[in-house]
Amino acid sequence: MIGADERTAMQDSVQSAIANALKADAAADVDAVLAQLGWRDMLAEEPGDAIGIVFGALGATNASATALDDVLGWALGGAAREDCAVLLPAFDAWDPPGRIEGGGGSARGLATARVSTAREMLVACGAAGETRIAAFAASELQAQPVRGIDPDAGLREVRLRFDAARADRLDPAAWQAALALGRRAVAHQIAGASRAMLELACRHARERSQFGRPIARFQAVRHRLADALVAVEALDASLVAARETPDPDTAALAKAVAGRTARTVATHCQQVLAGIGFTTEHPFHRFLARVLVLEGLFGSADAIALDVGRRLLASRRVPTLIEL
Amino acid sequence: MPSTQTAMTDPRAVPLAEYRAALHAWLDAHRDALAPRYGPPGTLDEHVAQMQRVKGILYDAGWMQCGWPERVGGRGGSPMLRTELGAAIAARDLADPGLFSLVEVLAPTLIDFAPPALAAAAVPRLLSGAELWCQGFSEPDAGSDLASLRCRAVPDGDPETAATWVINGQKVWTSLAQYSDHCVLLARTGPAESRHRGITAFFVDMKTPGIRVRPIEMINGEQEFAEVFFDDVVVPAERMLGRLHGGWAVAMSILPYERSSCFWQRIAYLYARLERLVARAPTDDRAAEIVGNAYVQLHALRACSRATQHRLAETGTIGAETSIDKLLISTAEQTTYEAARRLLAGTIELDDGAAGETWRSEYLYARAATIYGGTAEVQKNIVARRLLDLGSDE
Repeated sequence: MIGADERTAMQDSVQSAIANALKADAAADVDAVLAQLGWRDMLAEEPGDAIGIVFGALGATNASATALDDVLGWALGGAAREDCAVLLPAFDAWDPPGRIEGGGGSARGLATARVSTAREMLVACGAAGETRIAAFAASELQAQPVRGIDPDAGLREVRLRFDAARADRLDPAAWQAALALGRRAVAHQIAGASRAMLELACRHARERSQFGRPIARFQAVRHRLADALVAVEALDASLVAARETPDPDTAALAKAVAGRTARTVATHCQQVLAGIGFTTEHPFHRFLARVLVLEGLFGSADAIALDVGRRLLASRRVPTLIEL
Repeated sequence: MPSTQTAMTDPRAVPLAEYRAALHAWLDAHRDALAPRYGPPGTLDEHVAQMQRVKGILYDAGWMQCGWPERVGGRGGSPMLRTELGAAIAARDLADPGLFSLVEVLAPTLIDFAPPALAAAAVPRLLSGAELWCQGFSEPDAGSDLASLRCRAVPDGDPETAATWVINGQKVWTSLAQYSDHCVLLARTGPAESRHRGITAFFVDMKTPGIRVRPIEMINGEQEFAEVFFDDVVVPAERMLGRLHGGWAVAMSILPYERSSCFWQRIAYLYARLERLVARAPTDDRAAEIVGNAYVQLHALRACSRATQHRLAETGTIGAETSIDKLLISTAEQTTYEAARRLLAGTIELDDGAAGETWRSEYLYARAATIYGGTAEVQKNIVARRLLDLGSDE
């Protein structure tokens, strides 16, 4: 693990590299920028730091990239390769997207834009009592582009049916590890986006005057922004906990905190931004759309809280998970 | 390494995880000796006596001194050792964390600001449970706005050379004043308009003539707080803590302890309370949602508090950002008890048995979580001005 200062410096430089590329060309290939920065090597060497730095920067710049495929591909046991995509679970779900029953397999899930350029796509599958994995060529897949609330996110809906014999055995722990890293990646992206929304709202509050003074002077406005910062800091701390005590539970909780933070921050910031935040002339709306989509990847805050609550009630235990 | 009789040999050399394991093994081995001698919920008298008894046992075994400096009778080592001890005591329900962690806001004041001989004599008596102290800060007209306090200390002669000071005025919300042997008192020594620049701290013997304590009954029926009246109370000048007019620094120096170790202890207690709740709660999805939400909040709080304590250990200082911890802990505490109210239908409202009495008392106490230690509104003002750079609100 690298030090906190170095991590901040690296995130700043990744963030400005992405921001500069997007400034020069709004349709810039952010994946190419990341590749140039050595993202896949970083992922293999220091996955926890690499994910925090890159996804934090993606969130802060609201950039669209397919780095999630690298994270999942790497965690599922392959090396991260730009020509390999991984099928994500369906919206608000986190079980393996594939299902094997008897001799037949089927899958339904989401894919990033990489599915249209990749040579193959990996699909993790749940089967009776075990986990399996299958690889499909691009030509075998039907990927339906999703416009939805955030067309720039570049998501696709993928459905497929296949012969169960094509799926090899996968260590169930590998899917849990991929899920945990995926959740942390998305939570970092939400953290970056949440901080960006808060910065936009604070700047607006300082600059916008009504009743003869900046609206930042009104306590009702200040308290909304303070609540937003509390949520952002709680998320950052949850992500530190997930990095320093890496396990499926700390990752799940970080994702739950992320969903909650996004909702709190977006609500308060949009209220403070008021009229301008309701228009497409201000960048806020892109962050809002993006965090709504990210909230559904690997389970929403509500779905994770419900799942965790069921497990606490079943075990009658409340573990502390992290220690001093 | 851990003996069943005494704490480990040298706490300065032990990694935290090892200390924690040894501590819990020792607490397991001494479960019966440490257990409260009364059934739940217990009265405040019983809670206070239990806490002092537990401190005495821990002191005799050498645990209570871990993490405190040698010059006040401690055994040295990281302050986090104290935090671990307090958290273990809270999680096992051996003493109320709000009362037990008062040590964390009182002993450091003496260590940092009392003449060395006074600190060396007084702190061991606090740690061992031989004494209880209270904190005389708030006044009827100085709550959130502490700098407006008016309780006066007047020197008998020149302020720089006076042998004694005479105190007149009133304090309020003073926890455990009626049980206390000493009070860390903030008094006005400058002109009224001097605000935080004209305050001085004193270590006052509560048996001094002229002190009258009137306990206040709280919403849960307990008398944890009191009003304290000072009527020509004479205090020796050597009981001044810190510099003349330096009382604000004394008050502010407490914040890092209150917002780190004390919070961690309370967090351990809240996890234990949620566990007590899941032991009795229904197991349907409504319950799962409520319990899960409380757990997510507790986890975010614990993560934040952990980061705060590591920052304190690394940099030696924490500041305005602890207002975030304060806001998180007050919300999480109230969410936890709301979860109990929602899932244990009628327990808090109607149950006259031990479970009802306990949940009711704690539920009502939790209503103050957004008020004591600086209200949620004051914390948000600090966050806005100091952390978000939104300027003054005036």
